[in-house]
Amino acid sequence: MANFWNKLLYHDGRGWWDLPRTQWQDPNPQMEGPFGDGITPIKKAWDFITAASYHHGTPLFYVVIGVILSIITIVEVWAFNWLFLGGLLIPLMLVLSLGKFVLVVGFFMHLKFDRKYYAWIFTACMVIGIGIFVALLLLLEFAHQVQQ
Amino acid sequence: MASASATYEIKNEHGEVINTSTGLSNKKLLMWAFLGSDVMFFGSFIATYLVYRNRSLVGPYPADILEIPITSVSTFVLLMSSLAMVLALSYIQQGRQKLGTFWIFSVVVLGAIFLMFQVYEFNHFAHLGLTPRTNLFGTTFFILTGLHGAHVTLGVLWLMFLGFGSLKGTLRKDNAIDLELAGLYWHFVDIVWIVIFTVIYLISARDVAPPGSPPFVGH
Repeated sequence: MANFWNKLLYHDGRGWWDLPRTQWQDPNPQMEGPFGDGITPIKKAWDFITAASYHHGTPLFYVVIGVILSIITIVEVWAFNWLFLGGLLIPLMLVLSLGKFVLVVGFFMHLKFDRKYYAWIFTACMVIGIGIFVALLLLLEFAHQVQQ
Repeated sequence: MASASATYEIKNEHGEVINTSTGLSNKKLLMWAFLGSDVMFFGSFIATYLVYRNRSLVGPYPADILEIPITSVSTFVLLMSSLAMVLALSYIQQGRQKLGTFWIFSVVVLGAIFLMFQVYEFNHFAHLGLTPRTNLFGTTFFILTGLHGAHVTLGVLWLMFLGFGSLKGTLRKDNAIDLELAGLYWHFVDIVWIVIFTVIYLISARDVAPPGSPPFVGH
């Protein structure tokens, strides 16, 4: 009888009753979410590509990043001559440039591997820098309008 | 009584002894703070360039003189110098001194080549009639690219000292943090050029005389 009450009132901090444990009973099961476990191979591939389990990349890893940077630069210069892009040229250039920026900051400057505090410092300064950038653009744009 | 700002020594994952007050390397923290301030510095000059874009009243205009193929090569050289820099740091941290020294001097050579491209470009533009006093494009272009060039020059000198230090054995695995700081600076110079190349050379290279201004006929 005591065993019955023990089982009925069992609580281990996660749930009541001593039921067989499955991964679905974990607080945040990995397979939960709109894509089920379909995201897992993508996450594994991303971790592999970004050398997520290492403190630093290997020389080969850095060479691969260098090759990717070179390819992006070639695409930029190539796309520069695509006249049919018209107004899409600037957004395309900005996206490609952002990609190169992230690769250099994340991997060559080791922000991906290093302490997150450095990334926070740099990101905070980037936000302030972009703020100054936008403020200057707006300020001087309106200044020109006032002069006219 | 222990002070809250006391500095003590710890070893990082590479076995280097670093001074810290926060658990992070003091030197590295300072470098990141400096780079953060440099972001704002260059951000202001890039914004100024964009504000005065297409506002020159006399030529030459960007479309008259900018040469994308040449600048693409110099951009590639600077990107490869960044790769050489990260390889140099990786080898010095592994204790492979000779390879590390080789790559440090590779960065110096590639940086110097980039500077030669810039000197050639400035000289070429001056011959075509574009100086910092010619028009708004000239002023903003020379200030922005010139300040970047000054950063590159400083980086080349810094890395040259470190290269000789590595040759003499004063730069080693246990004090590779000094090379890492120079590397952070060098990569930052690279990312600034990534933005400058996009904004000045790729986005505004087709800018011609604004409406109402005479086209540039050359000298």
